[in-house]
Amino acid sequence: MTAASLAAGSRVGPAIATSKNRRPANRVIIIGIDGMDPRLSEKLMNAGQMPNLAGLRQAGGYRVLGTSIPPQSPVAWANFINGAGPGSHGIFDFIHRDPAEQAAPFFAVAKTIAGNGYWKTGKHKMQLNFPPFGHKPPETVLLRQGTPFWDYLDKAGIDSTFYDLPSNYPPSHSKYGRHKCLAGMGTPDLLGTYGTYQHFSEDGPVRTKDEDGGKRSMLFFENETAAAKLVGPQNNFLIEPEPSVIPFLVHRDIAANSCAVEIQKHKILLRQGQWSRWIKLDFEMSLPGPIPNKHLTAICRFYLQEVSPNFRLYASPLNSDPSNSALRITEPPEFIGEISDRLGLFYTTGFQEDHKALSNNVFNEDEFCVQAGMVLQERLKLLEYAFENYDDGLLFFYFSSTDLQSHMLWWDSELKHPTRSAEDAKECFRHIHKLYTELDSVVGDILKRYGDKATIIVMSDHGFANFKRQFNLNTWLRENGYLYPPNSTGIFKEIDWSRTQAYGLGINGLYLNLKGRERDGIVDPGEQREQLLDEISTKLEGVRDTNGRPVIAKAHRTDKVYTGPATALAPDLVIGYRRDYRASWATCLGDITDEILLDNDSAWSADHCADVSEVPGVIFSNRPIDAASPALIDIAPSVLKKFGIEIPPSMQGKDIFTA
Amino acid sequence: MIFFARIISLINTLTNSFGKLVLAPVESLPGWLSNTIISAIAGVLLLIVFKYTSNQQAIGKIRDDIKANMLALKLFKDSISVTLLAEVRVFKGAFLLLLYSIVPMLVMIIPVSLLIAQMSLWYQLRPLRQGETAVVTAKLNGNIEENWPTINIEPTSAIEVTVGPVRIFSKREICWEIKALENGKHNITFDIAQDKIEKELAIGDSYMRVSAIRPALNWVDILMHPAEKPFGSDSVVQSVSIDYPERRSKTSGTDWWLIYFFIASMVFAFLSKPFLKVRI
Repeated sequence: MTAASLAAGSRVGPAIATSKNRRPANRVIIIGIDGMDPRLSEKLMNAGQMPNLAGLRQAGGYRVLGTSIPPQSPVAWANFINGAGPGSHGIFDFIHRDPAEQAAPFFAVAKTIAGNGYWKTGKHKMQLNFPPFGHKPPETVLLRQGTPFWDYLDKAGIDSTFYDLPSNYPPSHSKYGRHKCLAGMGTPDLLGTYGTYQHFSEDGPVRTKDEDGGKRSMLFFENETAAAKLVGPQNNFLIEPEPSVIPFLVHRDIAANSCAVEIQKHKILLRQGQWSRWIKLDFEMSLPGPIPNKHLTAICRFYLQEVSPNFRLYASPLNSDPSNSALRITEPPEFIGEISDRLGLFYTTGFQEDHKALSNNVFNEDEFCVQAGMVLQERLKLLEYAFENYDDGLLFFYFSSTDLQSHMLWWDSELKHPTRSAEDAKECFRHIHKLYTELDSVVGDILKRYGDKATIIVMSDHGFANFKRQFNLNTWLRENGYLYPPNSTGIFKEIDWSRTQAYGLGINGLYLNLKGRERDGIVDPGEQREQLLDEISTKLEGVRDTNGRPVIAKAHRTDKVYTGPATALAPDLVIGYRRDYRASWATCLGDITDEILLDNDSAWSADHCADVSEVPGVIFSNRPIDAASPALIDIAPSVLKKFGIEIPPSMQGKDIFTA
Repeated sequence: MIFFARIISLINTLTNSFGKLVLAPVESLPGWLSNTIISAIAGVLLLIVFKYTSNQQAIGKIRDDIKANMLALKLFKDSISVTLLAEVRVFKGAFLLLLYSIVPMLVMIIPVSLLIAQMSLWYQLRPLRQGETAVVTAKLNGNIEENWPTINIEPTSAIEVTVGPVRIFSKREICWEIKALENGKHNITFDIAQDKIEKELAIGDSYMRVSAIRPALNWVDILMHPAEKPFGSDSVVQSVSIDYPERRSKTSGTDWWLIYFFIASMVFAFLSKPFLKVRI
């Protein structure tokens, strides 16, 4: 035995071998309910529609939970993970910018680093990542910095299992083998997107047309049979990469109001309004000459929307096959296979409810609710699996339903909804009520099952608010002389960086064009920066809508609200909007519209990317919560304390149970 | 061809009776064990057949020649002429061995094909499980312009029709999605005007004889799908198929069972070669 293995054994082996014998079972269960709102929760608890959570509130186990600045899910969940704010984990928005490339945007949580070097033959290229070639294949890396709290549990020999954890794709490595994780929000589909449906209809475009979150194609029937192609992942083994496709046939029988889909070896029969089960599809990537082609397995569900007069068929985003995953979506990698052995096939992308299909009018509200309901049923089966395989330690389970369904169906105002009649808006909001009630009964089952045998925490990362009016930050900056030229239509189109002092990117971020930081920076980092930040903050906080309502609650200076080693990419200001307001759709990617304030016209009619004070989350527990104003960053330290681990200095939160 | 198809159909009647009887234990044994036992018995039997259908004396002589020439290759490796001549003789010997194996191969090909066809009924696909759905497809005779007969599945406690009938006009097929309800060996009965036709259906969790297709009167289809009587050439229905799920196993699952069978039977044949004094 080597000295190294002896050393390792002395740290890890004995801890693992004796931990279960030494300690009585110590269980902490966290149920993360994304976007569960305190106002609605309290209303429903008061009305007796959430009796289980009301019971916890009655026993002193309820508080409004402080969220992150800004209250965006990736930021908020990273706060939860590190027990500290964005200054510790370096995630400030869904979208970041690269100052060296002058505002070039990228996704904040994960990044794919391009490979290096390849061998060319004919129309193919191959990366040979072995000597003497040493080519470097592309790699997806998690950009979240700092130490996640499960690492401390892992080191102490305490098991932790996370299901659908956001802000953790690709999942971080467990050094001591006591941590398991199924990655949640942020996990891509096989096209490398956050979910791209494919829609086939007789009135679709002749050439496949891309739209935000989907693709549309036309079907042409001859003898009641139409040929179509399902677009798969890109074949990057080609010098000029092109997507792999699976041709398939659709046969319709108008009299039977049904169709048959023949794809690869599957024949699927669907009545109008029916969903198929998950189908495994094999995408083949051609490789040069005698080298066997590479195969990627995806899973997909079809949904027959209409047979006649306009045949419409929806294909879900191509999820990675959990029984043979092409993506590393779990830690350890084999964990996903273990789950699939028991549960079969299920959604593996981070965003499972297809909100894009509703936003793009591929789905109507009822269809979206059915699809979201199927997601919830799958997740409830996963929850059952989680409990079957849970002994002690930490169990975390995440529900996305309350977040994505609220984005699309929430409306708690008498004002006109962006896309629905007043009655339809009420009906949709009632669906959210039902969802809260359903999740309350899930909590009830957990309380029944574990009672006092576990510390149970039910928490959300933020609340919700209507999204009625959108504010274009870049238009405001242009109109106020901070962004040039005066006729600019976007920061990536026509912009004069030599005169532009500030720009907006992402949902809440405002960046100064700072000298020495941004490639074409002009603002001096000293007094000019200070003066400019104060000036812009004051002006923004004074913005009023046409009816006189204030639009922005606070423009937070990040040098004052963020502390920690990971602030290099932080915006200079985080814009905290009032309820009913949010950054405009155009703002997020730097576009400029004519108007500063305009109505939101999207089915995405509720949001939480407001000010931290406007959309707090909730926390419930079966243990009394002592802290008066707990926040997301307090949960990780509280969990560590429950397991007898000292709170590390990197954490900014405190124990909420012994405040 | 129809005559040939009828002959194979007749042979299938016999092999089905034989297969049902001899392979019956497959139902109650683990897949890896049953396939190993069948492979072992088949390997030994095929070796015996080889012994009595091949020219053992000639094969022995060629084998000895090959050995002698291999020895010459070792001993006279410095002599190019001897080496080349020995290599030619080795190749010639190998070729002659191949020729001498043609007769036994021809003798064995039919029984082996029939055995594989019977084994495939057990291993290639698995029965439906209760609650599972599958698509049943009836392919009709005639061309797509002709009238469509009315075909219905008779209600039974074993299955429930969940979708269909759905007509695929371009292929002249009628499809149903069925849901398995009751374990056992069943028949699906189709009503076609005044006529009735049947198709076997297997529902269960263990190994069962699974007939995916009741074939048309075509000799290849009949050979590949021996379990059920083929439809006549004048039948309205050409064939009926059920898309049973694949069985997952590296020893007795879809496609793998055949690879395992060939490897295991060869291993057992080689192991028993010295005892049966067979030269191959």
